[in-house]
Amino acid sequence: MHSRLQRLSSTMERIAGHVFIWPAVLIVLFLAIFPLIISLYLSLSRFQFVPGGFQFTFVGLANYNKLLFGSERNHFLGQMMGPSLAGALVFGAVLVFMAWRLVRYGQSGRFSAGGLFQRLVVDAIFGLLLWVVVRTLLSGGFPGTLVVTLVYVFVDIAVQYCLGLALALLVTQRLAGRRFFRVVFLLPMMITPVGVAYIFRMLTDTTKGPFYPIWSLLGLLNFSWVNIPWGARAAVMIGDIWQWTPFMFIVLLAALEGQSMELIEAALVDGANRWQTFWRITLPQVMPVTTTLILIRMIEAFKIVDLPNVLTSGGPGTATESMTLQAYIAWRTLDLGGSAAIAYLLLFLVTLIAVMYINVVRRRVAEA
Amino acid sequence: MNPRLLAVVASLAILSMLVGQPVVHAGSPPPQQFQGVTVNLLTFTGPQIAEPLQRRAPDFEKLTGAKINVVIVPFSDLYTKILTDMATGTNSYQAFVFAPQWMVDYITPGYLEQLDDRIKADTAIQWDDIAPFFRNFSAVYNGHIYTVPLDGDFHMVYYRRDILEKDGVKPPETWDDYLAIAQKYQGKDLNGDGKPDYGSCISKKRGAQGWQFVWSFVTPFLQTQGTAQGAFFDTTTMTPLVDNDGWRKAMEIFKQTSQYGPPEEMNMDVGDTRSLFVTGRCALSLDWGDIGSLAIDPATSKVIDKVGSILTPGSKEVVDFKTKKLVPCDATTCPNAINGVNHAPYACFGGWSGGINAAADPKVKDAAYAFLSYMAQPAQSSVDVTLGKTGFNPYRTSMFKNIDPWLKGGFSEAAAKDYLGAIEASLNSPNMVLDLRIPQNQRYLQVVLDTLMSQYLAGEITLDAFQKQLYDGWEEITNELGRDTQLAAYRGSLGVATKRGNLINRTVFSAPSPFGRRGLGG
Amino acid sequence: MSTLFQRKSLFTPSVAERTLIYLALGGWSIVVLFPLYWLLITSLKLPIDVFNGPYYLPGIDFKPSLDAWQYVLVGDLANDTLRNYVSTVIVAPTSAGLALLLGMSAAYGLLRFQYRPRLGGILSFIGCLVLAIFAITLGVPWEIAVAAAVVLFIILLQTIGRRFQRSLANRDIAFWLISQRILPPVAVVIPIYVLFQRLGLLDTYLALIISYLATNLPIVVWLMRDYFQSIPLELEECASIDGASRYRIFWSIVLPLAVPGLVATFLFVLVFAWNEYLLALFLSGAKSQTMPLTVAAQNSTRGPEWWYMSVLILLMIIPVIAMAIVLERYIARGLLVGAIKG
Repeated sequence: MHSRLQRLSSTMERIAGHVFIWPAVLIVLFLAIFPLIISLYLSLSRFQFVPGGFQFTFVGLANYNKLLFGSERNHFLGQMMGPSLAGALVFGAVLVFMAWRLVRYGQSGRFSAGGLFQRLVVDAIFGLLLWVVVRTLLSGGFPGTLVVTLVYVFVDIAVQYCLGLALALLVTQRLAGRRFFRVVFLLPMMITPVGVAYIFRMLTDTTKGPFYPIWSLLGLLNFSWVNIPWGARAAVMIGDIWQWTPFMFIVLLAALEGQSMELIEAALVDGANRWQTFWRITLPQVMPVTTTLILIRMIEAFKIVDLPNVLTSGGPGTATESMTLQAYIAWRTLDLGGSAAIAYLLLFLVTLIAVMYINVVRRRVAEA
Repeated sequence: MNPRLLAVVASLAILSMLVGQPVVHAGSPPPQQFQGVTVNLLTFTGPQIAEPLQRRAPDFEKLTGAKINVVIVPFSDLYTKILTDMATGTNSYQAFVFAPQWMVDYITPGYLEQLDDRIKADTAIQWDDIAPFFRNFSAVYNGHIYTVPLDGDFHMVYYRRDILEKDGVKPPETWDDYLAIAQKYQGKDLNGDGKPDYGSCISKKRGAQGWQFVWSFVTPFLQTQGTAQGAFFDTTTMTPLVDNDGWRKAMEIFKQTSQYGPPEEMNMDVGDTRSLFVTGRCALSLDWGDIGSLAIDPATSKVIDKVGSILTPGSKEVVDFKTKKLVPCDATTCPNAINGVNHAPYACFGGWSGGINAAADPKVKDAAYAFLSYMAQPAQSSVDVTLGKTGFNPYRTSMFKNIDPWLKGGFSEAAAKDYLGAIEASLNSPNMVLDLRIPQNQRYLQVVLDTLMSQYLAGEITLDAFQKQLYDGWEEITNELGRDTQLAAYRGSLGVATKRGNLINRTVFSAPSPFGRRGLGG
Repeated sequence: MSTLFQRKSLFTPSVAERTLIYLALGGWSIVVLFPLYWLLITSLKLPIDVFNGPYYLPGIDFKPSLDAWQYVLVGDLANDTLRNYVSTVIVAPTSAGLALLLGMSAAYGLLRFQYRPRLGGILSFIGCLVLAIFAITLGVPWEIAVAAAVVLFIILLQTIGRRFQRSLANRDIAFWLISQRILPPVAVVIPIYVLFQRLGLLDTYLALIISYLATNLPIVVWLMRDYFQSIPLELEECASIDGASRYRIFWSIVLPLAVPGLVATFLFVLVFAWNEYLLALFLSGAKSQTMPLTVAAQNSTRGPEWWYMSVLILLMIIPVIAMAIVLERYIARGLLVGAIKG
């Protein structure tokens, strides 16, 4: 009896690794594979109702073609104008930088053909993206949903992170009432995203919203922020920042609170001042969580849909429409193929950016 | 007596009493028709539409024993939810209350039950009392009835009766009149609160009702010969009817109304414009029938008894489709004109109606139909349309005859007469415009038209580009889905004979329509 | 004067600094709280008060009315509100708890064990899974499909699996997990609907719990990985030398030290499940609808009914705030100071 128990526990010990990971992997696998494959098939087909039911007609890459080169091109990529001087300079500078990095890689000891090929592909796609951005944003064109989504993601994450870190740092100070602030700062994240979108719709209403006296004072009564593209985009970004700063805040707070006190005390004994302790000790300790946090938040940010949908339905024109919103509108009107194609392009884009991000971060951390 | 025999006799006696119950107690009510049947009815969260259904379900249960379970989901996703339920074979709902605009996508694959026979056998519903447009076009597709109308939806123009009367201005008959009145009142204080108000408030938001209001501007230029003419496509070639001067003029006027409206009109949905109008901040507005009931409610309105309503403005010029230019109205070009103005009220959305899932149990289908009929019967519907919160607007001719329920519902006599008069004029119009009823109509309207309208209003594209891209966009979808299929569907929805010469649509009942020829063999 | 600017210790700010900090914190608090205040007073307004322009002070600017609260809690919407609330309260914490349990185990596993899944094995597994799922959607009873798939997988593993020796590493597994979050819900909702329909789980709590579990696991894994990483390895090695099993080490040593991270992660996952809309819309029917649906449903044919919507949003966040207040103390430093030193 005793030996059987012993054998059981030693078996359990041997397979401990599997016990820890398999439940999670199985569940995710269960729900992940099917939609992925179905979506892929949908993106390559056209959906139609026919007498007796519905049918999917295989059309190959027609949906993707429409988005990148065909009738939806202006909607998706944007209206591209010839590159302005500023745009051409920016693009040229980045090209030079990428070429220099490739050369350095070639000279390093870790060179391999496969690695070079990988980098070339990634750089090429990144270059194309940049070309689209330059020709729409920097050259007086209209950005399409792809570019608008990129703008949303990068601005939102940058602001949310800085705000979140600043707030977390302030709240770790020994102050009276800091528990109150901690709870209050969590609030925006707890509201359902659809609710947040409607709240901001109320707030940004110039005729009956609460900021009416301010618009009135500034003489802006006959002017509506919603009629200019960047005004509308700003409103969407402000809403997103308001909603998701708490996410950054709480993760960074937990990380700050979990700092090893010994290091800090040792530094103090050595005579370091506050700034030095922050830069040399606190920030590096917070870095691992930061990289994860930004990756997670970035992946979520690419899916932004409720705010532009409720605030302006993607208007004026298509100025605030994100990729997910475009997919949602297509899906809602039974263009299932088009919707899946946009979703897959989003998948490629975000995977590319995530891989690039992780590589950069890992190299940075490895060199540190 | 032998105890065993006594027991047998006793049990036989008891048995006979139980079996013979109805015979023994002749005065008791008959067993309920749908006892034990449950109908799951899907619609959107109210209180509009859902409230009367939920309120009357218990009454119906008392009458027939059927339990009606009203399930509600968000309005914006009702269409997809119904479709997913039926298309995937889940069939957890047996009845729906939805917008007939969505009908064709449910009918083509065969998910919706045909109701011809049930309606023919149903006298209580008083089918002929329903206004001809709703019973001949809205509830019908390809010659068969698929829905029970519960509500009448079309656009009307509302105006501040007190202000227009004071200044001796006639309510607008054409869109040019409308524009002139809007210009006149833009910037004036219309509700006494010291703030400058607006001439015209029309919802132009993308992804909301904006594109539906565009049609009310466009249709008077395009449709003149009656509902069966259609206003969207050419009935022989299926080319879009957008590359003409009528569209240009209509879009120009549509854009110009923004100058005489609130600055963020481009981002206002119909809830916002309504709220502006009932707080007295607009001189004019274009809307469904809801403003009528909102305006008399002290909880929502500052303009009680100050609101007038009128048939949607029309046009004195219409499109000659051979030359694509505008020609003035006369007896041939505008046979349905009133005072020389061609009106073409747009019955947008079609009016909330009840439909039945073809895959449901026969008994459940019967119960569901009985409930929908119950809701539509004059005894119930005449009361419901007078209550603002039900969201039901009038659709039966009998609803205009008797003004008392309206007075009981809170209308003043003047307001009731005015509101009902405008509705009656609209319903009487033989030139009412039917929604686009072809497969994937949503892509034509909610994706292509809506996006382009928004871009045009925002100044991102010119009018020429708008027309061209609208034409090309629609053609692309038609080509993708099959021109012949779309053409057949379009003609079917209008009741036009097919190329093979068969009359697809046919008025179901031979009772003569009180409004004369409707453009088909009716 | 100089004492105003002097700090007593590293974490105690001087007087001058304190005022500045309070200003900053107070400023952001107003930014956070004002919209919620607006929600509160909107819930007390009649439609005409909302339409008529901004009113700020109940009782002074406008006459507050409990109409909206009444409608939602005891009036026409009451049944739906109550039922949806119960659904949310059941589904969200359950799925969050399960996600935390499975996720933190996986995170620890990814950190302390070396997994080398062979590419051949993975591909065969995925292939068999796909075949099983397709069989299920085509109508084959799921027991048979699963059994057949398992048998096929075992066969493939012995043959093809042996051939391809190339294997992946831990970071690939982790990346695969987080990449599940990339596809927007709109792309996956109908396939998931069909999947649960075939399993007969539509309109049940179980479907929602499983879906939220699967969608939130990647986040738990990634976040907990970082929190676990900050725990010194020496502690675990000491315990291991003393003869403790992996499970014991995980449960008794690692977890208590990671409590702040656990709490923060639990709060997130709870919030995500509490507030999720699209999957809830499709997977639920008459019985298992959740609160976000009711909130979104207030945008009807009359436009958004701001007053009802405000009531519902407030009702939704009250329990979550309460939970945050309770859990917030665990994120504080206090609990840790003794642990690490000891």
